[in-house]
Amino acid sequence: MNAPTINSGYLLLIRNDEWYNSMTADELRKISEQAKSWFERLAAQGKVTPGQGLVRGGAVVGKNGRTLTDGPFAEAKEVIGGYMILQADNLEEAISIAKTNPILAHGSTTIEVRPVAQECPLDARLRELAEEAQLATA
Amino acid sequence: MLLFRGNEWQKRLSPEEMQKVASQWMDWFKRLSEQGKATAGSPLLAEGKLVSGKNGRVVADGPFAESKEAVGGYFLLQVKTSEEAVAIARECPGLAYGAVVEVRPVAETCPLVAEMAAQEQLAGATA
Repeated sequence: MNAPTINSGYLLLIRNDEWYNSMTADELRKISEQAKSWFERLAAQGKVTPGQGLVRGGAVVGKNGRTLTDGPFAEAKEVIGGYMILQADNLEEAISIAKTNPILAHGSTTIEVRPVAQECPLDARLRELAEEAQLATA
Repeated sequence: MLLFRGNEWQKRLSPEEMQKVASQWMDWFKRLSEQGKATAGSPLLAEGKLVSGKNGRVVADGPFAESKEAVGGYFLLQVKTSEEAVAIARECPGLAYGAVVEVRPVAETCPLVAEMAAQEQLAGATA
């Protein structure tokens, strides 16, 4: 079984400061329904694949495989809280879709919008170097 | 989820090292997917935007091009324990050169819904 390398689309990384921990159940229900209909609307247009929340906490592995105990990405509003993958024609479209996410109205939520690369960045760089070398000897 | 953080380290590699790491990385992903342990993965372009504020009114550039923290790619793993995910992260071919791998468990429930359920339970308990 070969896992797909998704090489199109835009990854949305959602960061937030756990604002939902200080809201009432009624407020949360309302927001959760807004988020759900937002997602379902996009899914019906084929523009999104299901994303997931990430459990806060985890591990960070560095040089020599050692675990860095004080996760460098631990400042509350810097922690990535979840992700999803959008299909869009270009970055501008992906950004305008991201802007409509209702959770942006809450806490210090930020959504990072990143294009998925077609190839490994090292391979891309090697290709660039080869092209430069070719030009140099032309 | 494995999040590959930092892309500065790639700039310090010689072409030979780049070749080696690129092909080791591809083999690593291939092996994990054949074992059913990786279900998806992608590299990301070193560009993009940060959207924030109500209605996403703020669109800013991010430190994607050269940063110790920029997310350069990810793998989605299907494994039973965090320990196993960390063990897989330790196999990352970029680690020796300065790559950093963040290992995060995927949440079973959306955190909003989990918080709502927790509150309702509390309310039920004190009713």
